[in-house]
Amino acid sequence: MTPMKWFYSFLRQYRWRMFFGMVLVTVLVAAALSSPYISKIIVDDVITGEKYDLLMPLIFVLIALVIVQGVCRVGSQMLFETSSQGVLFQMRDKVYRKLLREDFAFYNKNRTGDLMSRQTGDMDAIRHFIAYVIYIIYENVLYFILALVMIFRFNIWLALSMVIILPLAAATTYWQAKSVRPAFKKVREAFSSLNAFVQENISGNRVVKAFAKEEYEIEKFSVENDKYRNAELGAAKIWKRFVPIFELLSNMLNILLMLVGGVMVIGQQMTLGDLVAVNGYLWMLTSPLRMAGWWINDVQRFTTSVEKIYDTYLAEPDIKKPKNPVACKKLMGNITFRNVSYCAEGEDILQDINFEVKQGQTIGMIGTTGAGKSTVMNLLCRFFDVTEGEVLVDGINVKDLDMHDLRGNIGIAMQDVFLFSDTIEGNIAYGVPDCSFERVEKAAKMADADSFIQELPEGYDTIVGERGVGLSGGQKQRISLARALLKEPSILILDDTTSAVDMETESYIQKQLANINHTCTIFIIAYRISSIMNADQIFVLDRGKIIERGTHRELLEKNGYYATVYHHQFPKQ
Amino acid sequence: MARNRYDVDEVLEEKFDIKQLKRMIQYIAPHKKKMLLALFFMLSSAFLVTFIPKFMQLEMDRYIPEKDIRGITGLVVVTALICVYAAICTHAKIKLTVSVGQDIIHQLREDLFCHLQELPFQYYDERPHGKIQVRVVNYVNSLSDVLSNGILGTITDLFNLIFIIIFMFGMNVRLTLFCLCGLPFLILFVVVIKRYQRRAWQRQSNKQSNLNAYIAESINGIRVTQAFVRERENTKIFNYLSKSYRDAWMYASYYGFAMGPAVSLISTLTTAFIYVMGVSYIANGAANGITVGVLTAFTAYISRFWTPINTIAAFYNSMVTAVSYLERIFETIDEPVAVRDAADAVEMPKIKGMVSFDHVDFSYEDGIKVLKDVSFQVKPGETIAFVGPTGAGKTTIVNLLSRFYNVDSGRVLIDDIDISKVTLHSLRTQMGVMMQDSFIFSGTIMDNIRYGNKDATDEEVILAAKTVCAHDFIMQMEDGYQTQVNERGSRLSVGQRQLISFARALLADPAILILDEATSSIDTETELVLQEGLSRLLKGRTSFIIAHRLSTIQNADCIMYISDGGIAEAGTHEELLKKKGKYYELFTSQYQIENKI
Repeated sequence: MTPMKWFYSFLRQYRWRMFFGMVLVTVLVAAALSSPYISKIIVDDVITGEKYDLLMPLIFVLIALVIVQGVCRVGSQMLFETSSQGVLFQMRDKVYRKLLREDFAFYNKNRTGDLMSRQTGDMDAIRHFIAYVIYIIYENVLYFILALVMIFRFNIWLALSMVIILPLAAATTYWQAKSVRPAFKKVREAFSSLNAFVQENISGNRVVKAFAKEEYEIEKFSVENDKYRNAELGAAKIWKRFVPIFELLSNMLNILLMLVGGVMVIGQQMTLGDLVAVNGYLWMLTSPLRMAGWWINDVQRFTTSVEKIYDTYLAEPDIKKPKNPVACKKLMGNITFRNVSYCAEGEDILQDINFEVKQGQTIGMIGTTGAGKSTVMNLLCRFFDVTEGEVLVDGINVKDLDMHDLRGNIGIAMQDVFLFSDTIEGNIAYGVPDCSFERVEKAAKMADADSFIQELPEGYDTIVGERGVGLSGGQKQRISLARALLKEPSILILDDTTSAVDMETESYIQKQLANINHTCTIFIIAYRISSIMNADQIFVLDRGKIIERGTHRELLEKNGYYATVYHHQFPKQ
Repeated sequence: MARNRYDVDEVLEEKFDIKQLKRMIQYIAPHKKKMLLALFFMLSSAFLVTFIPKFMQLEMDRYIPEKDIRGITGLVVVTALICVYAAICTHAKIKLTVSVGQDIIHQLREDLFCHLQELPFQYYDERPHGKIQVRVVNYVNSLSDVLSNGILGTITDLFNLIFIIIFMFGMNVRLTLFCLCGLPFLILFVVVIKRYQRRAWQRQSNKQSNLNAYIAESINGIRVTQAFVRERENTKIFNYLSKSYRDAWMYASYYGFAMGPAVSLISTLTTAFIYVMGVSYIANGAANGITVGVLTAFTAYISRFWTPINTIAAFYNSMVTAVSYLERIFETIDEPVAVRDAADAVEMPKIKGMVSFDHVDFSYEDGIKVLKDVSFQVKPGETIAFVGPTGAGKTTIVNLLSRFYNVDSGRVLIDDIDISKVTLHSLRTQMGVMMQDSFIFSGTIMDNIRYGNKDATDEEVILAAKTVCAHDFIMQMEDGYQTQVNERGSRLSVGQRQLISFARALLADPAILILDEATSSIDTETELVLQEGLSRLLKGRTSFIIAHRLSTIQNADCIMYISDGGIAEAGTHEELLKKKGKYYELFTSQYQIENKI
């Protein structure tokens, strides 16, 4: 599908509305053309011809025509505006849904601000096109054609001499459209890049301040700000050549009429009255032509935006829903990794991982930074697909499951805690938005978050800032844990979830986890031995491989990596 | 102030006043010359172009009846010259207005951005980031055309209007007065709808801001959304916001739609009125100098009177929209900078590292004290560790040290200098802070580390990375230090991100180093190697460490146990153990856990 076809797929459902809008515009044009005619009658017949009794009826007609025009104008604008808003609404929805489906690889490649531009600045060019450009072009083309038809009726030769302008106008249109397009593309790119820069500066404001890098940021900003201005100026540099050409072409019609018309009247090939009449219609030819250059800009801005949006929309996630997913709403939590390897961008991240976990077991994972622990979990949630081997849940390959079914059974508290700027209650209930407050409270209690939440002046209704600003690291982790627990999942993943909480809290949380009353397979990734030592199995990962496995006792006896870490963390007094 | 979130409109207290426009003029003023030049081009070409219909008239009235081909040729040549001149003017005008328009928004955006850099954490904490962003980018962008082209066009039209009014007065005073009768109605209409219109556009900009905020969060939080299978719910919220935006847009547009027809209606009524009055004068015997000829000529000018009014009204419409954005932009620029250099601030001299808190009270929100009367003293080169329950105020203490917030009362002193008396820049450049959240900028890993000191050589960057044990994993990545990472940084594990931001802090070569949970996601092995490297580096530097892993802090010169916004205990590891207080409890709980096995 081409970008334009894609665009039309949205506009299609509004085609009748657009059509009706155009009908109104047509009526409007007719009314607008009749008004001067009425005025002419008033001047000729009423004032000059002294037919005073005609005045009132004619004035009523005049006012009626203006009302018709007003109604048509408002009506058509509404129709076009609602169509454009309708298209935009659906396009935003479609793009948003697509963004939600995109996989991690996509988000690693695209900057937040770039993606946002697709949904904001680019959408605006489309709005403008449907709401304004389409009807203004239609209205003017209508005037242009009507005027041409009338001039043809007056005098074919005069009309033909004017038609000479058309190929010139067409050629200019073509040249402008062609040469301005790459420039507008650059504008969109500069906009996007400016947006991305500003977005990051705002998100990273703490780092900027901590390093007192305000001036450096301003320098970098200036580059982006300049780039955007220069892109706009660069585009203007191109289109400013064409806009005067259209103006010149439009004025040439005046000259043509003056010259050809004058000569023809003198040569008695047409009457003076005809020339006067044609002169009266001339504005209908010249004003559309004069504005053409601007509309071409609008059209090109629109097409580049559609292309940009469509480009983003086209990106297909690698992680796809299987064609015939195994129907399975409730998973038990038996997990098998069979010869799993994962590599990304030339880097081996996991190699030959094998393990089997029975439902209800607790698994501890420990290992060096960047050893691949989180990746194991990401493969289980199918955020990435394995390069080799297979991941099975309840004996079913995760690739054969609907991702939503799979993830619906998993509760994960991520290492990198992300909270939304919403109430604490809203954050905890994120996975089950319409659940009761009791469930939220229960989950918070299990995560030992209830007590500190209660102490906040607005309790569960406290709005936390973006990324949980205002809460300490440990508090955020506990909210994120509560969020995972609330789902009552069959598989619970705690990825470094208690690293920023104190030991007492941690041991409380562990007790709560042990008391979960539904069967739940738990994975705990941690650096603290205390977090995982009660696990049924402990895996030690190093550079993408499981190098040790067993229970706490077995591993201590093995005297390997695990034992070393243990002795570091619990030095003999 | 309560925090704002994506589905809450931001209230704008300020009433509309002309000040916004006056301020805007300040932005236009520097471009006076260009604007005047552009105006000259517009007016001169507009003036000359008005002759074209007159030439046509001349041709039809004189040259054609006289069959004067030469006269016609002359007219054609002059007209052609005018057209060429007009085209040149248009070209020049575009060049000038586009550059002025772009310069204005460039400046406005720069002012806004620079001010944002000065705004404290609080400002960013109180609202979704997408709402700040929309001001810097989208709102500013919507102004460029109104402020250059729009203004000039309006000035040209005003000239036209004045010209025509004078001309009409010259023809007939009474009829002209009749004609002007329509204007008060138009003005009344404009004044009445202005209030609603302004409010409608404000609402629209709010809804736009909400939507932007939600998009930003959706993208940043995508992992959580997918993990929690929240796609459907989020789409619902998104569509709700999208719909609110659409409705607000439509509602605000209605007023604009009404403007054009209102002008036409009033103009037609006025014209009708003139016909009626004119005709009755003529019928009753040509009173007041109103003759058939005058009335006929006059009606020809009425439309020329209303055309500029129509375009001015359209400009007014877009101005109302622009002002609703301007208000938001100026509101941000006016946002007071709570943490700023004192008027007589001096440069912080090279820090030796003596730190003291002198009866410090602090609260984020009025009435809720986070720190209560905190006092302590640290000698240069000491390592201080803060422990205690989460949320007790440990991070707050170190944040005050960099003056990210102002204390409510009391003083924070470094080398006996009150930090509120020195410039923020000279203070913060000497502090190395490693925060709980390690933020990664999009760019290469090299750039991210170099953020701490942009003059550092590659070798220095690599050395810093080696010190924090980040070198090995960086080299494993396909492009080493040139590997591209981004904000969400999901290519890097949290621990790796911590190491990178650790290297960043080290590279800044700070006199005081603050590590806030800097190593929470780093494995013990790495941490040990790290500490060895660090202990060399920390020599002579005062450092503050917040950590939950006690092994990390046992060697500190002083451990402070923070709870309930104050220092409950302080001393060395041994002293505190002997004291058998809270630290002792914390420490032994590790052994209890161990003994259970």
